[in-house]
Amino acid sequence: MSSSIPIRPAEHFENLERQAHAARLGMWVFLATEVLLFGAAFALFATYQVQFPHAFKLGVEHNTKVLGSLNTGVLLLSSTLVATGVHALRAGHRKVASWLVTATIGLGLVFLVIKGIEYGKHFDEGIYPGGAGHWFAEHHDRGLAEFWTLYFGMTALHAIHVTIGACVLGALLSSILRGRLGQENAHRLEVGAIYWHLVDVIWIFLWPLFYLA
Amino acid sequence: MSSFALPKTVVRTGLALFVLWAASFGLSYVHLGSASLLVALAIAAVKAALVVMFFMELLHESLSMKLTLAAAGGLLAILIGLMIADAATREPPPLVPPGYPAPDVAKIPSR
Repeated sequence: MSSSIPIRPAEHFENLERQAHAARLGMWVFLATEVLLFGAAFALFATYQVQFPHAFKLGVEHNTKVLGSLNTGVLLLSSTLVATGVHALRAGHRKVASWLVTATIGLGLVFLVIKGIEYGKHFDEGIYPGGAGHWFAEHHDRGLAEFWTLYFGMTALHAIHVTIGACVLGALLSSILRGRLGQENAHRLEVGAIYWHLVDVIWIFLWPLFYLA
Repeated sequence: MSSFALPKTVVRTGLALFVLWAASFGLSYVHLGSASLLVALAIAAVKAALVVMFFMELLHESLSMKLTLAAAGGLLAILIGLMIADAATREPPPLVPPGYPAPDVAKIPSR
C-alpha cells in the first residue's frame, strides 16, 4: 500500500486540479440527467397521488414500513462513511479510506438484501406489478394497482442505481488497493462518492412517499 | 503518518441526518391528516439539502456545478408543478354523454 505510482494529469489537461474540476463537472451534468429521469417518475407519482389519495394512503399503510425505514438508515450511514472516506484519502490515509469504502459497499449490499426481503413479502401476499396477484382481488380501490406498480418500478430503478454505485465504488476500491488512487488524485473517489450520495438523496424522497405519509 | 482525525462537518451532518430520520419515522405515527405528506417531504428536502451541501460539497463548488444542478431543479419544478396543477384542477370526464340514459352503476367494474 505504501508505494504509489506517480500520478500525472491526462495529456489535454494543464494540471491535475483542472482535470479534477472537469471530472466533477462531468459527474454533476450526469447527475442532473439522473434527477430528470427520476423526476419524471416522481411527477407520475404526484399525478396519481392527487387522483387517488385514498388508495395511495391504503398502499402506504400496507407497505413494509419498518424494513423500508431500516433501509433508509442503512443508506444514510453508508453516505456518511463514504464522505468520511473521501476526507481520509485527501489526507493521505489510504488504508482508512479503503476500509470505509469497503464498509460502504457492504451497506449497499445490505440495502439490496433488505429490499429483496421486502419484495418477497409483497409477492407472498399476492402483490405484483401491474395489479396482478390475489391481493388485488380482495382490495378493490381504484388506484391501488397504480400505487404498487409505481412502487415496484421506482424502487427497482433505484436498486439498479445502488448496484451500479456499489460496482463503481468496488472499482475505485481496487484502484486504492493497487496504489493507483491516492491523495494526489483523490477526486476520482470524490466523483464516485458524489454518485453514491445522489442514490441516497433519491431514496430520501422515495421513503416518505412509499412508506410514511 | 499521523492518525486520521474524523472530519467534523461530515460527522455533524451524519448526526443531523439520523436525528431527522428518527423525527420523520416518529412523526409518521402522529396523525397529522393531509399535512403528514407535506411534513414528511419537508423533512426529506432538508435531509437532501444536507447531503448535497456537505457530503457532495456543493457548498464549496464552483458556480458551474451549482448552475448545472439549479437547471435540473428548475426543469423538475416546472414538470411536477404543471402536472399537479393539471391533475388537481381537471374536470372529471362525463360518464354519460348528454341525451343517453344513465348507466347501471352495479355493472361498472370497480377497477
